[in-house]
Amino acid sequence: MAGRPGTNPTTYSPSLKTQKTRSTIFKDQEIDWVRPDGRGFQQCRPAFFRTGAVTAASGSAYAEFGNTKVIVSVFGPRESKKAMMYSDIGRLNCNVSYTTFATPVRAQGSDRKEFSSMLHKALEGAIILETFPKTTVDVFALVLESGGSDLPVVISCASLALADAGILMYDLVTSVSLSCLGKNLVIDPILEEESYQDGSLMITCMPSRYEVTQLTITGEWSTPKINEGMQLCLDACSKLANIMRSCLKEATTSSQE
Amino acid sequence: MKEEGEREVVTPGEVLGKASDVRAGRGAYLAPHNNLVYASLTGFRRALSPSPDSPDQRPTVEITDHKAHGAVPEPGSIVIARVTKVMAKMASADIMCVGPKSVREKFSGIIRQQDVRATEIDKVDMHLSFRPGDIVKAIVLSLGDARAYYLSTAKNELGVVSAESTAGATMVPISWTEMQCPLTAQIEHRKVAKIGG
Repeated sequence: MAGRPGTNPTTYSPSLKTQKTRSTIFKDQEIDWVRPDGRGFQQCRPAFFRTGAVTAASGSAYAEFGNTKVIVSVFGPRESKKAMMYSDIGRLNCNVSYTTFATPVRAQGSDRKEFSSMLHKALEGAIILETFPKTTVDVFALVLESGGSDLPVVISCASLALADAGILMYDLVTSVSLSCLGKNLVIDPILEEESYQDGSLMITCMPSRYEVTQLTITGEWSTPKINEGMQLCLDACSKLANIMRSCLKEATTSSQE
Repeated sequence: MKEEGEREVVTPGEVLGKASDVRAGRGAYLAPHNNLVYASLTGFRRALSPSPDSPDQRPTVEITDHKAHGAVPEPGSIVIARVTKVMAKMASADIMCVGPKSVREKFSGIIRQQDVRATEIDKVDMHLSFRPGDIVKAIVLSLGDARAYYLSTAKNELGVVSAESTAGATMVPISWTEMQCPLTAQIEHRKVAKIGG
């Protein structure tokens, strides 16, 4: 893991398009929440990525978004288990686990059990499975510290690890989530904001092809609210993709030297 | 002829060109819905000029110097495998190298009785062709079934490359069916690969 001194992690805050004639539905005067870390409602945390963190794996990536720290290892393509049936396209196997020290209190993790299958659904649309028939690609994600917005960070980091492993993909996969706190939409929520939220929206998309691979909404949402939330998230996703691409390019050029 | 220009790094999902201008090579793919060629790997982009007599005059763009995923056996590739089990009608082998690259984790392959050699395939005695521990050079016939790839040694240059005798020494090939131990001068039967010209 070669660290480059002086590279500042960049942020991927979205911007609402100014050519929209419709004004935002939330006026600035109606503020229900003050963000504990002092960010604006549409300001995301600085994103930090590094590839090649795990030498034992075919590919790996480490991501740090504020207090959320995630490391993802990718193994494969390797032989499927003998018990599996023959398949003429490749298989993807995902696992998301939390370390015991990831949260201050030992949480039950009732929604964490679904993170593995959600990661699978987010990634399988982006991998060209036909290129490795009969084999399996294993993606193991480990959340070292949970600081909010865990699954989007896991998904973005996993797609970077897959690119680092040399698995053929249609596009990078980026993911951003949004919390609804009263009348305000707050992007990239931290753990405290997630515990107070009334609803959440998570988008996973392939930014270069402008295709959404996964959309998860919880809580009560009206259609204009969903519209605005999706716009914010998609804009943030494309900016996050630029950060991920520059991380990959930097890793490639530094390994060439 | 290698062209030295600025070497551009591309990442998956980056647009390499329009389908009317370039053709998708290795590491790139064509999206049918908008006729653009995108990259599918991280690496340096390289354009190959087409051969002058081909009808399609578009250059082929491919991605090179990429960190490719570990080698995976494909039909038609030459592999090096170590024999693990020898049975009456087939032998199991662990594929360790695909072409010049070694695999990160082994793949399972089997050599069936009819694929050991090209002549008299029904009279093959598996125990006179392979022993557990032999290193064989084989070609991948097909993806096989869920459990193993199908391998074949039915060519002169395929077969046992290196084997240990019962005495423990590396044997010397004498003919295409026999190998001799240098310590005890014992002759053992194998399906030997013909190395060299």
